[in-house]
Amino acid sequence: MTDIRAPQDAAEDESQLAFPEDGRNAVQASAAAATATADDGDGAGAGPAAGWGWFRWAWRQLTSMRTALVLLFLLALGSVPGSILPQQGQDPAAVQNYFNSHPALAPWLNHLGLFNTFAAPWFAAIYLLLFASLVGCVVPRTFRLAGQARMPPPRAPRNLGRLPHSESYAVALPPVQAVAAAAAILRGKRFRLRHPAADEAGGWVSAEKGYLREAGNLLFHLALLGVLVSVAIGGLFGYKADKLIVEGQTFSDTLTALDEFHPGRLVTGSDLAPFQLTLKQFSASYYTSGESRGQPSSFDARVSYSSSPGAPSRPYDIRINQPLNVDSVKVYLIGHGYAPEFTVTDAAGKVVYDEAPPFIPANTGTFLSDGVVKVPDAAPDQLGFIGVFVPTGVTAGGILDSAFPAPYNPAVSLLGYAGDLGLNSGLAQSVFQLDTSAMTKITSRPFLLQPGQSFTLPGGRGKITFTGYKQWASLAVTYDPGQVPALICGMLAIAGLLLSFLVRRRRVFVRAVPAAADGERSVVTVGGLARTDASGGFEDEFTELVAQLSSGEATPRSIIRAPRGAPDGKATTSGAQQPASHDSKTDPGA
Amino acid sequence: MSVNQSMASLSGDFLIAALMIYSASVIAFAGDFAFGRPRRAAAKAGTGLTGTALIDTGEERELATVGAGADAASADGVTVDGSATPADKARSQAAELADAARAKVVASPPAPPASGWQAIGQAGAWVRAGVVLSALGATAHLVAVVTRGLAVHRAPWGNMYEFVTALTCVATLFFLYVLIRYRAWALGVFVMGAVVLALGLAETVIYTAAGPLVPALQSYWLSIHVTAMTLATGVFFVAAVLGALYLIAERYRARGAGRGNGLIARIPSADQLDKLTYRTVIFGFPVWTFGVIAGAIWADQAWGRYWGWDPVETWAFITWVLYACYLHARATAGWRGRRAHYIQLIGFVSLVTNMLVVQVFITGMHSYAGVS
Ligand code: HEM
Repeated sequence: MTDIRAPQDAAEDESQLAFPEDGRNAVQASAAAATATADDGDGAGAGPAAGWGWFRWAWRQLTSMRTALVLLFLLALGSVPGSILPQQGQDPAAVQNYFNSHPALAPWLNHLGLFNTFAAPWFAAIYLLLFASLVGCVVPRTFRLAGQARMPPPRAPRNLGRLPHSESYAVALPPVQAVAAAAAILRGKRFRLRHPAADEAGGWVSAEKGYLREAGNLLFHLALLGVLVSVAIGGLFGYKADKLIVEGQTFSDTLTALDEFHPGRLVTGSDLAPFQLTLKQFSASYYTSGESRGQPSSFDARVSYSSSPGAPSRPYDIRINQPLNVDSVKVYLIGHGYAPEFTVTDAAGKVVYDEAPPFIPANTGTFLSDGVVKVPDAAPDQLGFIGVFVPTGVTAGGILDSAFPAPYNPAVSLLGYAGDLGLNSGLAQSVFQLDTSAMTKITSRPFLLQPGQSFTLPGGRGKITFTGYKQWASLAVTYDPGQVPALICGMLAIAGLLLSFLVRRRRVFVRAVPAAADGERSVVTVGGLARTDASGGFEDEFTELVAQLSSGEATPRSIIRAPRGAPDGKATTSGAQQPASHDSKTDPGA
Repeated sequence: MSVNQSMASLSGDFLIAALMIYSASVIAFAGDFAFGRPRRAAAKAGTGLTGTALIDTGEERELATVGAGADAASADGVTVDGSATPADKARSQAAELADAARAKVVASPPAPPASGWQAIGQAGAWVRAGVVLSALGATAHLVAVVTRGLAVHRAPWGNMYEFVTALTCVATLFFLYVLIRYRAWALGVFVMGAVVLALGLAETVIYTAAGPLVPALQSYWLSIHVTAMTLATGVFFVAAVLGALYLIAERYRARGAGRGNGLIARIPSADQLDKLTYRTVIFGFPVWTFGVIAGAIWADQAWGRYWGWDPVETWAFITWVLYACYLHARATAGWRGRRAHYIQLIGFVSLVTNMLVVQVFITGMHSYAGVS
């Protein structure tokens, strides 16, 4: 277990010496021992039952770094089909198309859950295993860190020259005082210190700093767990619904009023927030010139809403990127279109229809839109029309088209049918489609109407008038209680990452030995070791630290400066008072 | 607000200028490869250089602190040959320690690193020209990005062309930093070469005239999101070049071919490249993470859900996981080194894939006008 959790850095390989308890380069035996103490105190291989031993083995495998790596890789790989194949959750129509165009392949892919990748059992297996591994990895590490934070750093190794960084300097102090002076400076820099015990040989101090780096790493991983939990909360207790609403209409947030409702697993209809909303006006504006001519510049759905029945109603402008928030339920603008208004009068002049059915844009650039008009109250037969609406009508070569998405020259073209609309068959019918199976065409060609114009239907069936148009907006109503926790966890994850990348865990050891027989001067050696130095810079820090220790902010300078006129002039120019570097790897003899 | 055409064309001109200056810098860096001093000679020159720097700082320190310590060291008449000390196991431990320490005291003083600027000054005319040209190009590039933003009255990364323009600008600036900080001019021909390629592609294949944004893209979260993504992409771009070079250097090392080859003699060692790649990635990774989160916040405002596994989101996630894989691989025995770098490069491939999807995505935003 230890070898997987104690990642190694090339630079640290020689450092077992100074970070022994971290189990760097740990051999199997110590790993087993660590597990044994951590898990149940049993000796390795002496488990009470074979089953238990297996379990421990499996758990060790699962929580190993290698497994985590493989699972992470699988997670990435497993996400790929979800972006390549059409997904049920996003575009069911595309999935249907895929089934039609690949009749042999599609059912197989469907068996594998590839049309709903991110809800597929195998995908869940990957991330659940990954998070199990995460827990198994992070929890023991947290305890270990807590233990380390309470433990003093290890004793200074004997030969500091073997550490990756070491330098020496001379001071005019006896060794004990020289070490005490260094210790004072290190403490001032908030290192955690360890002094020799009463029964140990003295002349050294150990210092350690940077526990936050491991804490940051743990925070990051725990925050990821938090994100997963937040997403799950959203999935269980949240809901999502769509509603298409024409100007002037009102709807309330109830199951029956919503067009489509996707509740979380633990949501019932009574959990919906009881607000009511009226679409007062919808407006879209478009660029009218330049390269982006016809591109929308803004959408604005002016609504009034009341948060509960009887509550005062308030106005709001729902725009894209500006949802309405009612009691943490959010209402978004996700689409819009035109709803041409028609009246139909029968032969006797009685108005049998006066509505504005929403038409669906067939071309989202020009808003040429399709729709149907169903007149069940017409007599003697029911009437139906298939229509095309164009906001800026142009006819090129006898074909009606739209030149611009804004309503500069609105027009409709209709094709009439008479007969049975099939509304009483008991089957649900789309408001956007006309079932002409029991109807006959009453107009041989489509007829064109502009606002205010009427068309007299053949056979004394009355007339239809295109009175004008309204606009509709489609709104998404969502509630996701996991959202705020997910955001908080995301931010924590970043904070943890930054901590773990920016903070370096390092140890500094100081040893002093008498430099002369009188014991009044000593040579101080400082050894340094960064356990983690992701963003680099320990070397510079170390050099600076040694400079500070040797210049000794805390040592009496006058003493150091005193013997300037020393007999041996050579010594003064050899720079003996400066830190002298000793790079054990490349320059052993220097 | 309509597009400021004169600003837009100014931006275009500056970008062309940047592209030309960059090309010249690639030539200069290549010239260093062809005609410059090989790395070892340069390294020697570097030592000489640090020696000079050292003498200066040494004197300063001496003035400040010379004294008893020096005397102490010399009191014993220490002229011990340092190399003898580690071998001398026979002596008592205390004596050994003392000797080791003393030996170091008289050892030659440390070489404080000379600044990157000085190093560049010493590195030869080709390198100097390359660095100056890159910096000049980067300035023109930055002007191009800023004027584009002024022309369209928004953050200038609303479409693919603008995105590539901005991210290559980030890559160049980040590379200049790496170059100065780590004296990595040997990488100039590769990084600047890649930048020139990407920019050339932006100018020719995906050029888009300055224009306003559709409503869905009119959100300050989008600016934050894309800024972070651009920054991270630029940084990962540099990491990918470094990773590729690592693989080359590592291959030579594995073959035991030494550093004789012209190319290999000039690029940093595999170990250095490995470290540099890692540091680059850990700079990019939190930025990418932040960018994804900012994107989620924006998606929530625009679409009513913060994560919906649409292709762009999915690929951003895949990329993120792959870079996390790389970070883990670096910490896993048996995966360090070459395999980890492969993962990192796969991560970059997925990032580029995503960018191509983003292109589709951004034009696809017109679907906003329709029914979802
Ligand atoms: C949910 C999937 C995971 C993701 C996205 C992830 C991501 C990361 C990232 C980005 C880092 C580098 C940041 C840092 O050093 O703090 C990291 C480090 C680390 N992760 Fe994970 N991790 C995941 C799961 C795991 C699991 C399951 C384990 C345990 C087996 C694990 C163990 C570690 C360790 C030990 C480090 C430190 C490596 C080092 O010091 O360089 N991670 N992880």
